[in-house]
Amino acid sequence: MIPYLARVVVKSVVTLFAIFTVTFIATRLSGNPIDTFLGEGLTTEGREELIRYFQLDASLWQQYLAFLRGAMSGEFGLSFIDRRPVTQVVGDRLWASGQLLLASVGLTVLVAIPLGVLGAIYRKSWVGSAVMMIAFAGYAMPSFILSILMVLTFSYWLNWLPVVGNSTLLHFIMPTIAMSGVLVAALTRFTRNAMLDALGQDFIRTARAKGLRESRVVLRHGLGNAGVTVISVIGLQVAGLAAAGSVVVENIFSWPGIGQLLVNSALERDYPVLQFGVITVAIAVVVINAITDIAYAFADPRIRLAHS
Amino acid sequence: MFRLMLATALAALPLAASAQEITVGAANMAAYLDPGRDHSNVGSQFYYNSFDTLIDRDHTKLAPEWEPALATSWELIEPTIMELKLRENVKFHNGDAMTADDVIFSLNRMMQATFPPYVVRAKDRLANFPMAEKVDEHTIRIRANREEPLWETLISLQQVMIIPEAYTKALTGDPLVAEDSDFEAFALAPVGTGPYRIETFQPGESLVWERFDNFWGDKAPLERVNVVQISETASRLTALKTGEADIITNIAPDQLSLIDKDKNLKTAGSATALFHVMIMNQNHPKLEDPRIRQAMSLAIDRDALNEALWLGKGVVPSTHTMAEMGALHQPDLVTFEYDPERAKALLKEAGYDGFEITFDTAPSYYTNGLLAAQAIMEMWAAVGLNGKVVVGDKWTGNSPDLMARNWSNPMYFADPFGSFGVMWAPDGPSQSEGRFNTDADYAQKWERFRYSTDLEERKVAYAELMERVKENPAVLPLYRPFESWGMKNAINWAPMPGHIPYVLDFRAGSITLTDS
Amino acid sequence: MVQLADPIMRLSKRKANQTNFIQKTAIAIAILLFASAFFAPLIVPFDPLDQSLLSRLRPPLGFERFAVGHWAGTDELGRDVLSRALHGMRLTLSLAFAGAVIGLLIGGTLGLIAGLRQGWAEDAIMSLVDMQIAIPFTLVALLILSLMGSSLTVLVMVLGIAGWEQYARIVRAEVRRLSALPFIEAAWTAGAGPIYIAWRHVLPNLISPLVVQFTLALSNIVILESTLSFLGLGVQPPQPSLGSMVGLGRDYMPTAPWIVLVPAALIMALTFSVQILGDWLRDRADVRLRDR
Repeated sequence: MIPYLARVVVKSVVTLFAIFTVTFIATRLSGNPIDTFLGEGLTTEGREELIRYFQLDASLWQQYLAFLRGAMSGEFGLSFIDRRPVTQVVGDRLWASGQLLLASVGLTVLVAIPLGVLGAIYRKSWVGSAVMMIAFAGYAMPSFILSILMVLTFSYWLNWLPVVGNSTLLHFIMPTIAMSGVLVAALTRFTRNAMLDALGQDFIRTARAKGLRESRVVLRHGLGNAGVTVISVIGLQVAGLAAAGSVVVENIFSWPGIGQLLVNSALERDYPVLQFGVITVAIAVVVINAITDIAYAFADPRIRLAHS
Repeated sequence: MFRLMLATALAALPLAASAQEITVGAANMAAYLDPGRDHSNVGSQFYYNSFDTLIDRDHTKLAPEWEPALATSWELIEPTIMELKLRENVKFHNGDAMTADDVIFSLNRMMQATFPPYVVRAKDRLANFPMAEKVDEHTIRIRANREEPLWETLISLQQVMIIPEAYTKALTGDPLVAEDSDFEAFALAPVGTGPYRIETFQPGESLVWERFDNFWGDKAPLERVNVVQISETASRLTALKTGEADIITNIAPDQLSLIDKDKNLKTAGSATALFHVMIMNQNHPKLEDPRIRQAMSLAIDRDALNEALWLGKGVVPSTHTMAEMGALHQPDLVTFEYDPERAKALLKEAGYDGFEITFDTAPSYYTNGLLAAQAIMEMWAAVGLNGKVVVGDKWTGNSPDLMARNWSNPMYFADPFGSFGVMWAPDGPSQSEGRFNTDADYAQKWERFRYSTDLEERKVAYAELMERVKENPAVLPLYRPFESWGMKNAINWAPMPGHIPYVLDFRAGSITLTDS
Repeated sequence: MVQLADPIMRLSKRKANQTNFIQKTAIAIAILLFASAFFAPLIVPFDPLDQSLLSRLRPPLGFERFAVGHWAGTDELGRDVLSRALHGMRLTLSLAFAGAVIGLLIGGTLGLIAGLRQGWAEDAIMSLVDMQIAIPFTLVALLILSLMGSSLTVLVMVLGIAGWEQYARIVRAEVRRLSALPFIEAAWTAGAGPIYIAWRHVLPNLISPLVVQFTLALSNIVILESTLSFLGLGVQPPQPSLGSMVGLGRDYMPTAPWIVLVPAALIMALTFSVQILGDWLRDRADVRLRDR
């Protein structure tokens, strides 16, 4: 078990370091901020003056070392644009993204697990087909289209729901649904199939033979066993899909989160913000993955035993 | 559920108006607030409510009528020295009293700038002013290098608004020294003397103004103003309709009918004191022949663009001039025209062989910018020019590969120097980016236009500069875009002609709320 | 990294050879969409780039101010929405095909190597696969495009690396399964080289799972491309793609919703029908896509 854990940790750290280095190099090679947000109407000397001021005249290697030194002491630099520490710029937006993520995961679990169970139990009737159609539709509908259709209907035509920011609970409705679309589809499919697998096992037949009530068989034994798979799906797929979906959804609903920040800072070449934003997201994804790995290892005797 | 939503939404509506509190949905929120280093269209929305200049003007009038602000009187004691008497009992938002030292500090942070963003800004408009100096506690002097025809205009610039010295210096590091980091910190926690105090500022997201009770002038009419960034046009419209916002900014003419149809809402707008322009690179090897650039310019039917994209509400200029420039407004000059036949003839003369001409544009920076670019390609095609739109966020104005792109020439202050003059001066931004050439003749004309104290002489010199632009074009002003604001009927507000573009002036006399 | 099974999903548990009504409809729609994209230049009424500034923002057939000939209305520059949408779908599909082929080539090659040569090569390739799975790729694509600027070349490359890991896993698993079978061992002992074995024995067995994966990848890439173009990072104007039409039309949504609704409907029809087509193919081929 211990070597397994060590491997997970080492792998996470190496992944993070690789992601950071690649981001650093890619941003520096792709142009500098003076060419975008500050460049309009500057004289050549003014341009050089600002490049010196932002310390962009040092060599790539020096900048990289400077960044690593700063990172060691928790200093990740100032935003080129608003000159706040990037930890603050990113920190201010973390909770908004977190709220949206939690809301979406909550909604997904509430909707997808019952749907998946229903889909498995009634797989031969129209209920099962309907569940699968929903899963298909969720997969086929990109989150931006779902968002746009909702905004068009509920905001522009009916004027029921607000579209900007996260100030009230009403603001959560559309972004949460938009983020959840793909997740519901994914989790419904996995839950259904995991349930089908579980319900086909011998111990279920035994349970039924013992005369247990069907609902207990399905929920306690079926879902209980399918649970391992379902948890890892929530951990793995959901984290990935949500990180991606949040960029689109935050953009459409002007949600003050990380996703919107990343795209804007990339477009403006605000390196310090971009770097720290990427690191934050990468840490989140890697940590969630590592936890999932470990949880999975604990839950699955085959892994637990194989590695100890 | 749905009833609950409606109830919540409706409950929020009347409260806002009765408490003299409004919410503005702005297309853009500034990333920092420092009137000194900023000259963007985004920032200029916000400064006038919180900061004062020494000299102000009557913004309801197009022609400048100077008014005392933080200076109560001023006179030229020598042609190159202005002496100003300072207003007494002026308080900053943080409670400090304004002193002559604060004024000197504010002026010299620009005139003797060391903070690079100030250096850059001061060079293009304040170069004639080496320093300001204190005479006594209520009197200061500003020196000029040469006789200055635009004294009041330049002393009322946003860049020389007054900020507190002690507060700024104490923000970081040594509290007695003005470090670069002090100015950076100031831009996140700005303090001025204006009628509204900046209570909270979240860069790029929101701003809250609160009435400043110790303001030296007429009390602010509003208790609180929340400004929220809503970048999507469609979202801003919805926010206005659902009552999330009371005023929304930057409405393109296409959307006006939607607001005007709603009997609870109205719009106010004006042709902004800013040109959307097309710039052309005089030094691109393929465009060195001025006839090709003349053809690129002559091929564009700017009236058709105005009709289609701005519903005819924009203003298409015959030369680089605006009514706001008062005596120097010269609408009779004809520098830019639409003449496709002449364009074809010029191309033929120049031996244009159909090579591709790229036109760069950002995807959404200028309202209708991408649409105009695409429409221009069609117009070019009609005279045989082979154009291609290149979309990107990168500023390409300094690239040797630049052929043509869009840009804007705002009127930073009401004078041709504040618009054409800043951008197209000898060794100014356009020349130093390598896409515009000047020679001794141009420089001599520019000098006469900039510094002559004889008005007629300035007009003549400007006309001569326009002639040079016509012969060897590097710029074509397309139109003054028509910008509109949407608002509830209960709000009485409109942009005023005496302001630079986009200013959200909420001072006394500029906005009132009707109780309904 | 834990490998999760992606268990098969079927619309019905009936015999694999039967095709139900929903599947038939979806396949018909898919064929119709593919055909209209392929023949778009022949069937659309207008050039997708032709502007008419005097008839901007005209609504579709059946509404007031309809402009004759523009069945689905016109956009903000007076261009024909239907013509643009079909051309956009053509571009979207071409990009998706190119991307899926690149993914197939990269993933297939790497999967083959990993399957045939066990040891460090396999370890390296499978760690890459793990990494690709762990990282939210849409985010990576966004960053690449906003940093490198969006040209069609960069876009195709990004779409290509979007799904290579699935192919690699399928190919590797299949190769390993086959290697253990007697007839391959027999071929080895008979002195056949690895290339010969791959070509003669492994490839034929790979065709059906790869076709299925290709179809499913197609739908995913359509979604990715539309999303990127929607955000302004994919196909650049004036060239239409379905996603960019939705993205650029957003400003006009309250006044001219058809500019957005027509391409949005096409994207959904496309992804939905292709997904079902892939599922149907999987049933027909009766293959089980395994992930381990």
